[in-house]
Amino acid sequence: MKNSLFLKSFVALILSSFLVLSAGTAYAKRLTAAVPDWTGGEITCQVAVAILEEELDYKIERIVFPSGTGLWEAIAAGDIDFACESWPSYAEADDVMINMDLVYDGEVVKSYNGDGSINAYTTGIIGMSDYYVPKYFVDANPDFKDWSDLNKFKDQFANAETGSKGKLIGCPVAGWNCHDQKRLDLLGIDFTAVELGTEVAALAEAQGHYDRGEPFLLYLWEPHFFFGKNEMVGVKLPAHKDCESFTEANNWQDCGTAAWPATGWAMDYTMNYMNPDMINSPEHADALAFFKKMKFSNTDQAKMLVRVGDDGLSVEDAVAEWKNSTNEWKAWLP
Amino acid sequence: MTFVEETKFQTQDNSLKRFIVPGLILVAVILSFFLVFQSEDTSEFPEFVTDAFTFTAWVNQGEDFLKVTIKEYTRAISAYVKAGYFMLEDFLLDSSWVFVTALLVIPALAFGGIKLATFILLGALYWGMVGLWESAMETLALMGLSVILSVIVGVILGIMCSLSDRFERGMKPVLDTMQVMPAFVYLIPAMFFFGIGGAPAILATMIYSMPPIIRLTNLGIRQVPNETIETATAFGSSRAQTLFKVQIPLALPSIMMGVNQTIMMALALVVLATFIGAQGLGSEIWVAIRKLDVGAALEGGLCVLLMAIMFDRFGKAVSSEHDTLPSDSQRFYILPQTWDIYPIARIIEKPLGYIHFFFTFIFSGIVRIFGFAVSSFISLFNKNYAETIGLFLNNHYFFFTGILILFGISYYDNNVMAIGSFPETWNLSFRDEISAGVKSLTVNPTFISITQGIRSTVVIYLLRPFDMYLTYLPYWYTIAALVILSWASVGLRFAITTALLLAFIGACNIWTEAMITLSSVLISVLLCFLIGVPIGILASYSKRFQKINEVVLDAMQTLPYFCYLVPVLMFFGGGTFSALLATIIYSIPPIIRLTILGLSQVSSTYSEVSTSFGGSTLQTLSKIKFPLAVPSLVMGFNQTVMMAFAMQIVTPLIGGKGLGLEVFNGLARSDTGRALAAGVGICLLAMIIDRISLAWTKKQREALGL
Repeated sequence: MKNSLFLKSFVALILSSFLVLSAGTAYAKRLTAAVPDWTGGEITCQVAVAILEEELDYKIERIVFPSGTGLWEAIAAGDIDFACESWPSYAEADDVMINMDLVYDGEVVKSYNGDGSINAYTTGIIGMSDYYVPKYFVDANPDFKDWSDLNKFKDQFANAETGSKGKLIGCPVAGWNCHDQKRLDLLGIDFTAVELGTEVAALAEAQGHYDRGEPFLLYLWEPHFFFGKNEMVGVKLPAHKDCESFTEANNWQDCGTAAWPATGWAMDYTMNYMNPDMINSPEHADALAFFKKMKFSNTDQAKMLVRVGDDGLSVEDAVAEWKNSTNEWKAWLP
Repeated sequence: MTFVEETKFQTQDNSLKRFIVPGLILVAVILSFFLVFQSEDTSEFPEFVTDAFTFTAWVNQGEDFLKVTIKEYTRAISAYVKAGYFMLEDFLLDSSWVFVTALLVIPALAFGGIKLATFILLGALYWGMVGLWESAMETLALMGLSVILSVIVGVILGIMCSLSDRFERGMKPVLDTMQVMPAFVYLIPAMFFFGIGGAPAILATMIYSMPPIIRLTNLGIRQVPNETIETATAFGSSRAQTLFKVQIPLALPSIMMGVNQTIMMALALVVLATFIGAQGLGSEIWVAIRKLDVGAALEGGLCVLLMAIMFDRFGKAVSSEHDTLPSDSQRFYILPQTWDIYPIARIIEKPLGYIHFFFTFIFSGIVRIFGFAVSSFISLFNKNYAETIGLFLNNHYFFFTGILILFGISYYDNNVMAIGSFPETWNLSFRDEISAGVKSLTVNPTFISITQGIRSTVVIYLLRPFDMYLTYLPYWYTIAALVILSWASVGLRFAITTALLLAFIGACNIWTEAMITLSSVLISVLLCFLIGVPIGILASYSKRFQKINEVVLDAMQTLPYFCYLVPVLMFFGGGTFSALLATIIYSIPPIIRLTILGLSQVSSTYSEVSTSFGGSTLQTLSKIKFPLAVPSLVMGFNQTVMMAFAMQIVTPLIGGKGLGLEVFNGLARSDTGRALAAGVGICLLAMIIDRISLAWTKKQREALGL
């Protein structure tokens, strides 16, 4: 009798759920977006999500997924609809999967000839990455000019875990494809790249060194809130040059010391990328128009980064604050 | 004379043996050190093997082939599951929080009484009060749907197993494999066939959590006594009638137990499924870990813990029979029933009894009126039906009251006044306080010097030398050592298997990573012993300490395993040392438990004999109790090793290295072959060590005559 009661109540719960469901409101348009794994990307994505949800009547499901080729394939397969702020020099799938021109300010900044399984539009953010050392280190060692002097000072950069080599607080996430160790080896820098798993872990490590006044070498990018509080100097890696054969398909065959990854990063016109079937369907014409028009600026992102990174605001609150204080985004509406 | 000589010979033989084996081991160790110092770089498999054995490429080609051929079907399945999941999720998110809470509390009230209902009410309120209501609903939806599907499919498979011996024989190895595999390994193929998000998470969870329900359904049906079945047949029941009217109802307690286990396993995996894009509490915790937000991660972890305990208690309440009280004794609602000998307890409980009676009276009255209305309406058409339905309603007054309350709430919400989302003012969140506390501690110079000291000591004197030792040791030497070890402890056949499995790992070109994983597992197990055994000894002497221990260990085993990353991150930041520490925290419970068990199992006669011969407590412990507890300790070693291996898959999140990192890199690069090879590598290493240590336990037991 007790068990039958349980079974019946179980069935009844399911039935009642259908009843309530039919009364509930269904969302007209539903998209899934991947949440980027660095703060700047999160802000850009939240800007897009806030506008889609609040102005264009979308419901966006935010999925936490590590960036990298896996994410590109998930978008091509339609499991995720779009992702934000990809940096072309980090993306390895862009040449293979995008088949269109990347336009910034009416100018073509990069053209792609892939298979067309991904579409991409610029976000407006222009990024720059480098290796940095603290300014107090450069001041104390005037004969430190650029990256080629790193070996002379490697003892100061070493710690227990790297032994006799210097330590680079490297790109924290494997899926970002920074090739830090490869770059160090090709350039003959006797350092070990340490991968700490998350942006915040890398920054915490760097902040600890900075507060103690120790020399350290840090991979970082601009815009970033770390530069607000701490004075850092770039090590001026060699200027970027592409290497055609350095891809997964060619088993990462490098081009020696002259080209990527033995060089610094290119200037990145970052892009939002999405599933073409989704974005080109008439149902999502509003979203397409928005993504084409979106032009978020470095200065705005930098301000919000400080709010999030230093003032401890949540990304949602920082974006809401920005959205209420300016009308800039109204120009991006369809 | 001959007798004396014989014994003499035997002792000689024994002493020879006593020296030969350790001697050989010593020589082997010295040789290995020599080899390590000889080698210039980490040992890698010869290139002609790794280049020819392109397992990764084969898997990826296979994936490409399957993508073309069967992907449409698997995607169709996942589309259905996704639709169901969205429906359930929308339902939970759109209904007011009062409705969902009532939905959880009312069945709890029915089966577990006021105590359970209060607990569940507080648990559900906690989700809201820390601002994780939506995530909790998403986790609930994922778990709910996977449990429903697992139960449906599992019960059917269980019935099939119980009906056909051949089917059962076929299922057994499948079920064994399903339970041995670390849960995370399911996620990779699930992503590969079913995509990203809720649907693959549900399907992977089904695979992981189905074995107990299949086993227990099968067992329950098979345990129905033959006489009962014969009686049913004698009364002319067909086979189907016997099954559905006799066997399955009698097997229900066993099936319910299976459901309970399924729920617990589903919850564990649903949280982990955030790595393939599933939403919910798991992703909240992951995001918090990514931001090093200790407070938020801790709150998320607590929500999961509460959810697990809630469902566990509820499941136990449903499947346990209520004890019937003698008619003259007073029923207790909050206090333990055994306290009814105390008059004060009886006075406290008295008004509760009246309240209970009062509510029963009111609700049964309402249902009676409702039942009367329904039956008189139906009696216009058919008198017989009206009577049965009226009776049915009156008999299930509690259930129908519950339904009425639920409808009342949803009517109120939709038509009178929207209840809306969880009130933000009801806030019990302590994440800021915790984060602030941690922050103040981590800038404290003394604290920093202590943690840095521990960190660099462990890294310099343990982690780095051992990593170097294992990675620099030539692969053929390591393989030979493990093969001889498994030959000596298990047997020739397993030795051959070991050789093949290790050769597979080497041929996949992940030998160095595998050795790093092995080294961090072995070091964490070593440290687990150093910390766990003293705690176990202490607990076996003090009852109170043991009680505290039990509670803590129970909680530790219910938490999903990446919650352990949080406290470590808190104090030590990211890095290999933190990964090691998280592994220790996760895998220490079995060693403590089994030390306690081993020591308390030693019969008191032995210790009494020892004491009467004048042995001190320390002597009794080290000379009598400890040797007798060895099999139990080895068992603990075995479980600890398995858990440490399982942990290797999540430690890359805070800077762990080795095969776990390979799995992550494979996932991030969508390189299924690479992720699978590394995942399988972890499984194989775990399997080899598991078999060797199990065989060793058995030998120890036999030697001690247990």
